[in-house]
Amino acid sequence: MSSFRIISFVGALVASFACTSRERDVARADGAAGAAAAGAPLVVDAFGDSVRTTTPATRIASLNPATTELVFALGAGDRLVGRTHWDSYPPEALAVPDLGDGMRPNVERIVAARPDLVLLYASAENRAARDALHRAGIATFTQRIDRIGDFAKAIVDLARAIGDTTLAAAVRDSVLASVASAHSRVQGLPAPKVLWPLWEAPLMAVGKGSFLNDLLEAAGARNIFADLDAPSPNVTFEEAVRRDPDIVLIGASGAGTIRTDPRWRALRAVREGHVVAYDTLIVSRPGVRLGEAANHLAELLHPGLRGK
Amino acid sequence: MNAMRWAVLLVVLLAAATIALGVGAVHITPADVVRALAGRADATLSTIIRNVRLPRVVLGVGAGAALSMSGATLQGVLRNPLAEPYLLGVSGGAAVGAVVVTSAGVGAPAVIALAAFVGAAGAIVLVLAIARAAGGKFDPRVLLMAGVVVGAFANAAIMIALANAPGNNVRGALWWMMGSLGDASWRDVTWLLPAVSVLAMLVFVRARDIDALALGEEAAAGLGVDVDRSARSIFLTASLLAAATVAAAGLIGFVGLVVPALARTMGARRARDLLAASALIGGALLVLADAVARTLRAPAELPVGAVTALVGVPFFLVRLGRVR
Repeated sequence: MSSFRIISFVGALVASFACTSRERDVARADGAAGAAAAGAPLVVDAFGDSVRTTTPATRIASLNPATTELVFALGAGDRLVGRTHWDSYPPEALAVPDLGDGMRPNVERIVAARPDLVLLYASAENRAARDALHRAGIATFTQRIDRIGDFAKAIVDLARAIGDTTLAAAVRDSVLASVASAHSRVQGLPAPKVLWPLWEAPLMAVGKGSFLNDLLEAAGARNIFADLDAPSPNVTFEEAVRRDPDIVLIGASGAGTIRTDPRWRALRAVREGHVVAYDTLIVSRPGVRLGEAANHLAELLHPGLRGK
Repeated sequence: MNAMRWAVLLVVLLAAATIALGVGAVHITPADVVRALAGRADATLSTIIRNVRLPRVVLGVGAGAALSMSGATLQGVLRNPLAEPYLLGVSGGAAVGAVVVTSAGVGAPAVIALAAFVGAAGAIVLVLAIARAAGGKFDPRVLLMAGVVVGAFANAAIMIALANAPGNNVRGALWWMMGSLGDASWRDVTWLLPAVSVLAMLVFVRARDIDALALGEEAAAGLGVDVDRSARSIFLTASLLAAATVAAAGLIGFVGLVVPALARTMGARRARDLLAASALIGGALLVLADAVARTLRAPAELPVGAVTALVGVPFFLVRLGRVR
């Protein structure tokens, strides 16, 4: 067999495994009769698992900070029995027991918290944890919000998965309205070209695949790397110089380095003093504060808006 | 090795497994561990002990034993105490397989295991083919060189695959390369243990050949061993032992290199004794290292591949001091 045929064979094998997304029913064991369960709404998550919401989840472990924010917004914060070490918003979240990391989480800790539903970040790394939780008889719901456009569906799906949809539409509408308000404030203003470094060495910038790119657009700016599909592509410094941004947008901790490092003076924006630091607590997660983040960025990128 | 020493090793292994069952991110008293094993604890504790910790401990014993036997065998056949399963392309090949699928965003443990095994087996075949093309006859030096070259090529492939992969996928691949028993399930155990048992058996029945080969090719041929065939098949079996482990637990370094040396300091000389002692010590070391890896910074975990060295090196130095 030629090496090409071996490779394509392995490829096909892997693909066939990967595609058998398990439609396994992970309905919470509540003793409900089959007939009742069949009529209940069904939500399919990012891993292809179906969660049947026969009864609302009463003990929820949220292992994704962005999801924790949403659970509180949906009014179900008091049903949380676990969160990640990195959850910081809303402040009430800090009172929920810390179960450690949300990536490759500690299954033992989660099981000990006795949840009936575990909310996981949908990363390939978390598949093993999802398998282990299913083996322990615990339902999971996996999600990730990469773009602002994912938010509307995500909040409604999440509400259905936890079995409490009362506030879902209101939360969705208020967040999207707030993003739209930022956008209407910048209508007619010239859109500056922005470089948004997420990491300085090697240089990684916000790309089209990130909600941060959407936030930039909502805030009336143009991302110089909006043509790259990845959420945080590696880019060469040379290319950043060539694309000549008007503004370098960066978290407060990184701003000092960029303002003083001689290398960064190659950028006109840095030489002219257009390094803009944003509040990383507001612009951090694709959650309920998307609107607040869009308005924060709009005011930073268009100084004339402030106070209006 | 006398009966007393064997008894000590067996007790150490059992003690290591017992300790490992008792510790973890969740505090469980020894009495509750026993109750959970007997099926009389409450559902949560039973789940933690029987579904999370027990498969992990069993996998640790199997993987530690397999890596150590693989190392002991290769060191004998290649007449080089620095030979270890990972030097000979197994780790490189397995890593290429695993990294290619993880950097493409696949996370299903079964797919990663399969890809790693396919990669490792491919590398072993390649190493043997290169050695055959270069010399024809079985030559430890040529084999080592071929292994190093295949490993270097694999490294280059891994770096290229990871350089432009998304952050989460890089993290996943990196974790895999650092080795972990964290994803252990009964499903892994049910294929790894039989595979390891069969391969170990195949090595054990050739223990005499390994002893003869350790004396040198001429001496072995003088003792009636078909050097070429025997050495090749032993090499293949030992490499597959490592490949199976890698598929189940990622790259766990150090065990295959140092455990056989540790067994030698305890007086194991003949291949049969060396293999058995290595299996017992390796199982105990990996299970203990894993217990440390998941408790030191609980609920976060440390890479077990690094902890094996942290736990193993002091042991080794103490033994070395006594032997001198």
